[in-house]
Amino acid sequence: MTATVEPVIVDDDRVDDDTLGLRGIFDRRRRRPWGLRRRILATFLIGATMLAVLLAGTTYGLASSNVVQQREEAAIEATRRNARTVQTALRGPAPTAQPAVDALVSFGVQRALIWYRDSWTAGTGRYQADALPQSLVDRVIDDAVPAHIVTEVDGETNIAVGWPLANDAAYFEFFSLDEVSSTLRSVRLSLILAGAITIVLAIITATIASRRAVRPVGEAARAAKAIAGGRLDTRLDANDDPDLAVLSESFNDMASALQERIERDARFASDVSHELRSPLTTLAGSIELIQARRDDLPDRAREAVDLLSSDVARFRTLVEDLLEISRFDAGAVTLHTDELLLTQFVSHAVSVSSMPDTPVIIGDRADNMLIVADRRRLARVIANLIDNARLHGGGAAEVRVEIPAAGRQVAHIRVEDHGPGVPHHERRLVFERFARGGGAGRRAGNDGSGLGLALVAEHVRLHGGRVWVADRADRTDGAAFIVELPAEDISADLDGEDPA
Amino acid sequence: MTVDTRILTVEDDERIRTVVKMALEDDGWTVLEASSGEEAIGLFTIHQPDVVLIDIMLPGIDGFELCRTIRRTSDVPVVMVTARDDTHDIVAGLEAGADDYLTKPFENKELSARIRALLRRVRPSGTPHARVVFGDLEIIPDEGKVLCSGTEVHLTKTEFRLLCEMAENPGKVFSREALLDKVWGYDYFGDGRLVDVHVRRLRTKIETDPAHPRHVVTVRGLGYRLQS
Repeated sequence: MTATVEPVIVDDDRVDDDTLGLRGIFDRRRRRPWGLRRRILATFLIGATMLAVLLAGTTYGLASSNVVQQREEAAIEATRRNARTVQTALRGPAPTAQPAVDALVSFGVQRALIWYRDSWTAGTGRYQADALPQSLVDRVIDDAVPAHIVTEVDGETNIAVGWPLANDAAYFEFFSLDEVSSTLRSVRLSLILAGAITIVLAIITATIASRRAVRPVGEAARAAKAIAGGRLDTRLDANDDPDLAVLSESFNDMASALQERIERDARFASDVSHELRSPLTTLAGSIELIQARRDDLPDRAREAVDLLSSDVARFRTLVEDLLEISRFDAGAVTLHTDELLLTQFVSHAVSVSSMPDTPVIIGDRADNMLIVADRRRLARVIANLIDNARLHGGGAAEVRVEIPAAGRQVAHIRVEDHGPGVPHHERRLVFERFARGGGAGRRAGNDGSGLGLALVAEHVRLHGGRVWVADRADRTDGAAFIVELPAEDISADLDGEDPA
Repeated sequence: MTVDTRILTVEDDERIRTVVKMALEDDGWTVLEASSGEEAIGLFTIHQPDVVLIDIMLPGIDGFELCRTIRRTSDVPVVMVTARDDTHDIVAGLEAGADDYLTKPFENKELSARIRALLRRVRPSGTPHARVVFGDLEIIPDEGKVLCSGTEVHLTKTEFRLLCEMAENPGKVFSREALLDKVWGYDYFGDGRLVDVHVRRLRTKIETDPAHPRHVVTVRGLGYRLQS
């Protein structure tokens, strides 16, 4: 089993809330930069829009000028032809242009106008002489050159073409541009549609592309998190992409270096402890041999042996704790879990601790709680907390087993002492390794290893629980160390069965 | 305590060996010392000690190998002594045939208690029947014999004791703690791996298919049960 990084040690003072509050304000002031994915998306979107607009604009421009030009050419050609017909009709010379107009109407030419002998003869309806722009009339009649102009007649776009004729005459004809407009309108619509589709496609492509582009970053982030969480052998998969291979290679190099270093440090601590075990075995064994002959010793020698023996015991605890904590650091701790009845387990654990007579008070509903735990490690937790109460908590303690709230699948083991308590600012620190607290004098001369509570925190975390310090439940002087563990109420299963 | 109980201690560290020897002699036992596996094998064949204490880290033949060598010819109780309480070493030691283990630094009292428990284990207390039969498995406690389909199976003393404890109450589920207490003399906080490894070894000897045991059955979350 590997360790995780969630903080387990909670403190019930309010310092943290304040700092969080400040941080919140600070964050709100700072503008968040855009993420890589959003930037890729935006770039794609801007590019696609610009491209779509440019293409559509060019296409529309070309198409419209082409269509209009064709229409103009056709109109000029038709005018030229009709002008010749009119010229023929006027030959004679005819007294009026009416027969010529009639001839044109019979061909289906409706929008014709003829200037003949200083008067206008018009075809039908609205297309009268006053609809002709003066500039066109001037050009055709006065300058006697063919000309054309785009003009509005009753809200309809027309091209008016003028053709000078012999004998002081001129021929004008209107051609509707409605057809052209509607063609252009449908071209415009198609282009807008095409542009929209392009942009939508660009968004889709950009989303996929940005996701793909960011994926290695996500993988790297996950791997980094895993490493931070203790899974030191996490590596990124080899990447075929030469640009990203650099990232994954250097990431993996970093991870290897980190792993090597952490393992080396952990191995060193572990090796040191192992090397210390052999002389310690001799020391402890020899002292036991002397202690067995204690009565034969002179008083002063007996006193010295007692001192020696208590310090060897302390040294032994220190070495064992160091070894244990180095195993945590190496991520080499595996739990051997059993299903245990909480109250029974706590009573057993207290009975083998340094203060076996410590009262165990069982709270409401705590009787039939089942925990899944490594019994030896969890017994160490209780033993260490009782040692802590013995050394720093006035030498007496109570252990309470409580269920904090019905329905929540947790149980609390509270070890309460009668010492001076732990001030708020030290409540987190006491779980640090070799933490002696601010009041060094108060804790001086203790015979703990300085690792006891740090080990408690590690063990509890490995069991999926948390540990923290609070005031005693009855608000008298002293500290309460609370271990919260996942637990299951099995009263229903035990109903009607003999609990023994 | 029998006066001529002989304990062979195999340890390359002379100081530890001396302390152990003194402590065990205080308990009235005769101590044979060996500083290497090779020396231990020689002493073992000559003196046939009652208990062997083996340090895992030995020059030359290591503790595991020594244990396996001894196991080939003898069912003498073996205690492994290790400077590492890593799961790997402990399980490997038990797999090699050790009956129990101790981690350095140990107390003399603890060492004596372990040896005493092993010596006590030769015959289980008050087995009611002269012969217990579980299908093709037959146990004769008084003779220390186990027959599997009529052929005698060779068990170590600890394996035999474990089997007899469960045979006393056929069909009853024994928790690991109960077995640790009855067979090894441990309290509530004994190491359940001792039971697990011994059960595994027992199965390879008495089960036709050790992967699907018929006699020594695991009851999940509770322990083990002996059935026919």
